[in-house]
Amino acid sequence: MDQTEPLSRIPTGMRYYFGPEARLRRTVEETAMNIFDGWSYEEITTPTVDYYSLFEHGMGRVEAHRAFRFTDTDGRLLALRPDVTSAAARAAATLFAERERPLRLCYAAPVFRQQPQSHAEWRRESTQIGCELIGANTRVADLEVLAIAAEFLRRLDLEDNYAITLNDVGIFNGVAERLKLDPTSREEMRQLIDVRNAADLERFLTPYTSTGEAQAFAQLMQLSGKRESLDLARRVISNEQSGVALDRLESLWNVIESLGLANCFEIDFGDVARLDYYTGLTFKVYVTGAGSRVGSGGRYDGLTASFGKAEPAVGFVVDLDALTEVLRVRAKDSPELCKPQPQKLEIAAEMLEDSSASPSELFLRALERRANGERVSLSLVGKSIE
Amino acid sequence: MLELTIAVAKGRLQDEALALLAEAGAGVSSQDLSSRRLAVDDESGRYRFIFVKPADVPVYVEHGIADCGVVGRDVLLESGTDLLQPLSLEIGRCRIVVAARTGVSLNDLGMLRVATKYPRIAAAHFGARGRPVEIIELSGSVELAPGLGLADCIVDLVQSGRTLRENGLKEIEVIDESTGRLVVNRASYQLKAKAIASLIGALSNKTDR
Repeated sequence: MDQTEPLSRIPTGMRYYFGPEARLRRTVEETAMNIFDGWSYEEITTPTVDYYSLFEHGMGRVEAHRAFRFTDTDGRLLALRPDVTSAAARAAATLFAERERPLRLCYAAPVFRQQPQSHAEWRRESTQIGCELIGANTRVADLEVLAIAAEFLRRLDLEDNYAITLNDVGIFNGVAERLKLDPTSREEMRQLIDVRNAADLERFLTPYTSTGEAQAFAQLMQLSGKRESLDLARRVISNEQSGVALDRLESLWNVIESLGLANCFEIDFGDVARLDYYTGLTFKVYVTGAGSRVGSGGRYDGLTASFGKAEPAVGFVVDLDALTEVLRVRAKDSPELCKPQPQKLEIAAEMLEDSSASPSELFLRALERRANGERVSLSLVGKSIE
Repeated sequence: MLELTIAVAKGRLQDEALALLAEAGAGVSSQDLSSRRLAVDDESGRYRFIFVKPADVPVYVEHGIADCGVVGRDVLLESGTDLLQPLSLEIGRCRIVVAARTGVSLNDLGMLRVATKYPRIAAAHFGARGRPVEIIELSGSVELAPGLGLADCIVDLVQSGRTLRENGLKEIEVIDESTGRLVVNRASYQLKAKAIASLIGALSNKTDR
């Protein structure tokens, strides 16, 4: 290869944003931040570069491993932040330790991952929009973050085009406990459920239980549904830990139904990702037009303990870039989403292209229009500074 | 109304996969089949089929361009994609094996040269056993490599074993079994839950016999 790297190249998984797409992305971000503000969440900006050990504790080794890493002058390992939650949890346990609870934090910040999770998720820099509700473990707290997520998607005109799937990690954990699975078999069962392989799951369960029960459990894990899923689950799963989790999920579902939101929510027992991270409710956000999930969240009561103050927490993130991509494609049908906000600009821009005007005249007019909130574009031809 | 787009792997699995789908109520007319079009709709208009190379099926499905697909497990293992695999279709059964020339003992070698179309599967297999290997990626006629001295062994897909025998090779170890799989995009699974559940239901009735 040529010795000099062409300067036109940009690294894999990185990109530009400009024009209507950049404007749309900004609008989506502002929509989210306004909604967070409306629910009394306080914005936090965390360091872009932080200690790698923070993320190892905050995300778990496997997830943290995907970060870009480098060393500090003293030899300690640093990382470009692969998530925001870790640093927010640390701030809650240290900086905000004395603050009144609950603590409500929100953010919109780029995160960096050296290894993308899949081929479809090719970005190595993506912007996470998210919120954390720390210091409350009530059903109301869980509902608050779900309501915020639903309001956000509705505000983006995605009504009827999104699904939020709900699960509780206690259900899987209770079953694994009752079957007395060792860590390897537990992971094997988790993977079979995760890819919805009902036939192999049934085979896996045969040594542990009756054929009928294995079949019923495998079917339960395969398909998502509404209230009937809960009723079905109670008939199939009888251990205490799972029962408590089902109760939690049911009381949540009751409220979702009473709020008239049931059409956008699903119960999905097959969502068994990151079971070591979450401690209760988990949820995923799917939007028509995106090939993979655009957001996820849940309860992680074990996280802040690593930073010296154990307290309950619940939150979620959505991927701004994935969402912008969906909206950009949809915007072909509803172009107003991409339009710049004050719309008087065309005329103003034209008027200022009067080349006979002196610079002071030109600027006087421009400043007037700017004071009116209009958009201006100065003609810069033929007026070089001597 | 179009409900689902289904990617079907061309070649080895195609005929069996289409027969199974037709029995499950998603059939392509013989007229459409004999045409050279790579995207056709079924008679009901509910399903669109796209015909792509096996290795491209996971790509289309993972991006959500196709909601689901039919492809061999060998291709899925090699691609390392993140897809749902709700059904094994019991078609195109074969084995992924390590094979070497008859009379050669691989255990005497400090490092193995492995010729294969499946570099990822081969690396994972030998990696788990702590064996140093040099993976030589080929795109076909892998069975030639040991005889010509390019490699000590191969990792390949075997159905009857006849090609191996005729090229002076013998199976040493089975790495995995492979059958055709129904794969589904994670987002489609939630957003088109009804259509996908009914396809899974219809297909599993056909494969349970």
